[in-house]
Amino acid sequence: MLEETEDEYLNRCAAAAQDFVDFLDEEDVDDDEYFHRLMVYHKPGGSDQTRTRPVPFPDPTQTVDEPRGVVRVGFITGQVRHEAQRRAGQASPTEQHFVWSRVGFVFRLVCSSRLRRGGREELYMWTWKALNQREDGSLRPSAFRRGVVSSRASSLQLSNAKEFISLHRGAINSLEIDSTEGEGRYLLSAASDGTVAVFDTHRPTSSSSSSSTSIAQHHPLFHLPRAHKFAISRALWYPVDTGLFITASFDHYVKLWDTNSTQVVLDYKLPAKVYGIAMSSIATSHSLIATATADVQVRLCDLASGAFAHTLSGHRDGVMSLEWSSSTEFVLITGGCDGAIRFWDIRRPGTFLLLDQSLSQLGTRPPLLPTPTPSNNESTSLPASSKSSSSTPILPAQKRRSHKKIQLKPPTQSSHPGMASSQNRATAHYGAVNGLRATADGFYLLSSGSDSRLRLWDIESGRNTLVNYEAMSIQTSKPIQLAVTPDSSLVFVPCLASLKAYDLWSGTTINTYRGHYESVNCCFFNAQDQELYTGSNDRQILVWSPSIPAATQIEEADSKGGITSIDQDNWSD
Amino acid sequence: MAESSQSKSGGKKRPRSESEGDPDADADAASLQSIQLENDLNFTDTAIALQMMKAQFPKLDKVVVRPFILRSQLYSSVKDRTQVDRDLESLKKEAVVRVFKLNTGKDDHAIMFMDDYLAQMENAVKRYDAKDKQLSDVFDWFKQYVIKSKTDVSISHPELCSLLSNGGDVTEKHVTLLINAGLLTCQLIDQNLYWFVIPNIGSILKGLSQGRKELLSLINRTKYKEMVLANLEKKRLRLSPLDIRFHIRDLIGSGLLKTVQSPIGLLIRLSRD
Repeated sequence: MLEETEDEYLNRCAAAAQDFVDFLDEEDVDDDEYFHRLMVYHKPGGSDQTRTRPVPFPDPTQTVDEPRGVVRVGFITGQVRHEAQRRAGQASPTEQHFVWSRVGFVFRLVCSSRLRRGGREELYMWTWKALNQREDGSLRPSAFRRGVVSSRASSLQLSNAKEFISLHRGAINSLEIDSTEGEGRYLLSAASDGTVAVFDTHRPTSSSSSSSTSIAQHHPLFHLPRAHKFAISRALWYPVDTGLFITASFDHYVKLWDTNSTQVVLDYKLPAKVYGIAMSSIATSHSLIATATADVQVRLCDLASGAFAHTLSGHRDGVMSLEWSSSTEFVLITGGCDGAIRFWDIRRPGTFLLLDQSLSQLGTRPPLLPTPTPSNNESTSLPASSKSSSSTPILPAQKRRSHKKIQLKPPTQSSHPGMASSQNRATAHYGAVNGLRATADGFYLLSSGSDSRLRLWDIESGRNTLVNYEAMSIQTSKPIQLAVTPDSSLVFVPCLASLKAYDLWSGTTINTYRGHYESVNCCFFNAQDQELYTGSNDRQILVWSPSIPAATQIEEADSKGGITSIDQDNWSD
Repeated sequence: MAESSQSKSGGKKRPRSESEGDPDADADAASLQSIQLENDLNFTDTAIALQMMKAQFPKLDKVVVRPFILRSQLYSSVKDRTQVDRDLESLKKEAVVRVFKLNTGKDDHAIMFMDDYLAQMENAVKRYDAKDKQLSDVFDWFKQYVIKSKTDVSISHPELCSLLSNGGDVTEKHVTLLINAGLLTCQLIDQNLYWFVIPNIGSILKGLSQGRKELLSLINRTKYKEMVLANLEKKRLRLSPLDIRFHIRDLIGSGLLKTVQSPIGLLIRLSRD
């Protein structure tokens, strides 16, 4: 028994910057206490500079309530437990055995290669507790997956295990991973020098042989040096499989390529330089490529026939960004250089919805997060007539004299349901709309503008949710690519030379990722592995993965020297 | 009300300055101007923040302008920006405040209380003597019909005319008169849209943008691009009639400066991206 309490002992260790030793006494330990004492201590100067005190283990009686997400079912090896225990206090081998013998059921994580090298301490802690709950059935597999995914997504750091060797000689404008079912593996990148490259994200081609760490290097599977004459603004995979990909460039061409032979199959000539293209991933009845050009019209190119299908006109200036709706296959969302965001149903002429930044949700829907201040109660009980500023304003009662009104411009639009007024000058941003991203559930739309604002729109009502994303500065000349996690919890925005991750619903900055030397143009979140890929003007593609603590790197070096990596289960002891 | 809210906001301070905050709050209850910025940098409620900052608006000698608050100043004072936006929206709808878009930099907005704005408008109209007395009815129509019903920052030409014609016959000359008096401005990108503006505010806006640049260059010239807030407050800006606290709040809110807590007090640092 210790003469001082455990807390005092831990505090003493913290004050003296020492590791603590976790003494496990057999008769003391029951389930809760065992987990409670499994604390992790970070040395100052270790991988995590911000912590110099033990990370307390979460209360075992709390239920883990993590946001929604999709993860593969996994199991965890004894290897993982071994590492966590070792880092937890340099437990002696006998204690390690003791720990393992308490494990009744063993899981192995499918991405165990990553978890063996990576995952932060909180992930381990949460995983420990969740494993126990999983054993006795109180935590469902889907909830477990969600928790693992969200803790990995919020702990991204510049990866020291993986890198892409990019042969591009120009700024990287577009990154995309194919969306084939169950395996997002190939990364397509396009650059300003007219080159296109494809990388395999799962299998490295070589590894750099430095002494302590080995970084898996991924060379491109192929690199097309002269795909286009001028800069390529966007490259997309064909949504169904990786047999085709589509590139769009400032040389007015949109080209369709066969991946295996790397030859052009089809090309479309457009009247102006192409800023962006999009294909619907849920489309079953059409295979249209929507193109956003500097011309005011949005053209739809048909893959099946090789010709243009129809054009959508309504924007007053070039169109910079576009996106198909993630819930219906016929709705296209475009953002223009005039600052307007329009919704088009391609089966009907005209826009059916125009987003106006001055129309907010006040009076129509309750705000996204519950707010504690009492002043909010008044806002939800405002009269219905304050809902829309385009409805007739509330005028004081007055006698109307017979008078001549001045000649207004003739009323323009017909009552066709698909036609929103082309005279409607409502703007969604005070500058050009240079990035659009819909959430995976299809309810919300994120738009970024060159006025350096990011706005969240409720699609069904078409209103501004007024979520304020803290100060950012967005580059104004190029379209950028935003990324949202599939469980709609985080949004990644390229802001000049760094990338910022915001909480989607409250707008607080979660993280800033600094690693590029020049402005970041595009980012893509790989939901399968919870990795983030970013491309910027400095011609590099950087990988951000859930962080790897420094201790495990030393362990890898040891393991190369022949120390047996214990992948067995010693529960029989 | 102002004093109680001030002591409440003083109590919400970070623990380091709490002990300094309370005796200061008591001593300076009479003269709000001499409160250190460090003590009331954070507020809990948008309405309280607006009242406090209106009270702290600097006194200008050359130009008579009623107090206005920049939106970025609100962001720097109240922690949750989304809540600020929503509160502002409901205050706008209740016609307690009015929001104007300024032409200094992107996304600058000024917030003014409704009674201040109406008083400012009266001053401007009085000073602008219309040649044609008939046309000057338009000011009353503007105040009665347009301001009360249109709470946005901009208005389109057809809508403006239809609202004004509730008062009487409206011609283009009436609209021209409004623009000349300084109540409306044409948007550059679109001839048919007008911004609402605060009249007689031009020189102050010039001072605003120049003062921002001067303050940023002041901090940029230091060796480590940071300064102690207490020292910074004592400086005077040459180019701007507004005092330095106005500019500090504005720049913190727009993200160009950030505050860092340190053992000697609050530091203001140039934020690098």
